Amino acid sequence: MQEWLEILLRSVLLYLLIFAAIRYMGKRHVARMTPFAFVNYVVIAAITSLLVLKIIPNLIAGLVALFVWVSFPVLLEHLALRSKVIHDLLHGRETVLIKQGKVMEENLKQVRLSGEELLKSLRTKNVFNTADVEFAVLEATGEVNVLLKSDKMPVTPHDIEWKVVPQTEPQTVILDGNILNDALTEMGLNHNWLHTQLVAAGVSLDNIFIAQADSNGELYMDLFDDSIQLPQAKVRELLYANLEKSQADLMSYALETQDSEAKNMYSANSKQLENLIQKLRPYLLR
Amino acid sequence: MTVGSRLKQTLAGLKGAEGTLRLYAQQARHEKTRAVFKEAVATTGQVIEDLEKRLSILEFEEPQYKGY
Repeated sequence: MQEWLEILLRSVLLYLLIFAAIRYMGKRHVARMTPFAFVNYVVIAAITSLLVLKIIPNLIAGLVALFVWVSFPVLLEHLALRSKVIHDLLHGRETVLIKQGKVMEENLKQVRLSGEELLKSLRTKNVFNTADVEFAVLEATGEVNVLLKSDKMPVTPHDIEWKVVPQTEPQTVILDGNILNDALTEMGLNHNWLHTQLVAAGVSLDNIFIAQADSNGELYMDLFDDSIQLPQAKVRELLYANLEKSQADLMSYALETQDSEAKNMYSANSKQLENLIQKLRPYLLR
Repeated sequence: MTVGSRLKQTLAGLKGAEGTLRLYAQQARHEKTRAVFKEAVATTGQVIEDLEKRLSILEFEEPQYKGY
């Protein structure tokens, strides 16, 4: 067999083989790999390239070596899922660098991390002031993760006791002028609803690049023709205003009427609407 | 404007609100959201019922304004 033909065949065979093997080995991100996993991939790559270029002439021997370097990590991963000891051996353990706001110098020395490097890692996490750190840990992948002191943490709705509404992910219902049926049915909507929305906005289907329906059933549209200004959907705000107006109306009727029974009815209902408005506020206004 | 016709306006507004709320109760995908809107529909329905009763009393007392 001619040399170039053999190299071609080896290349094609190994290309497909390694592609399948790497897929089989899992989805772990390269940046989140432990050093050993990185070495493992490098060994696989080296064996493959040596084999392809016939530097290792014996194809079978090379494949055996590849088999070991592909199957071992998979096997060990499986064992690691079952046993904590093996998991720690394989992935290493995290090291606490800062605890209760105090830097653990012995631990730093143990993982051979200098103060400079610690500060740099903190800065990449946007922490420039070491005094803000409550707890920091060096993961086995070499990444430093930081827990800030509670008064330095970003404020969440929970902190300010603000009631928020559960939200589901929006669905893209039109892409490049094409209606995506799966997404529509996922939302429990149909073509009729979509056409009504389009007519209300006054745009044609083929002018739409992206349209997304959010969990409130409102449609966001981006058009090809950017000179068209789309009206903003204000149905919720209008509904809220409408309820508030009705409540105010009832209150004024209660004041105006002479009939005491009617007065009671009006003020009771006004109270009911007021409670309702309070409850609906986070859903209608944001 | 008479009391009756003002009441009718309020009623119309509330009925519109009830319809929109009912639509939201149908559209909502979260169990909790749906429950809130359903409750809102029930509450507005009750208020509407009370107002309609009052309106029929008013129309009985002042039949000359009936239908406006």
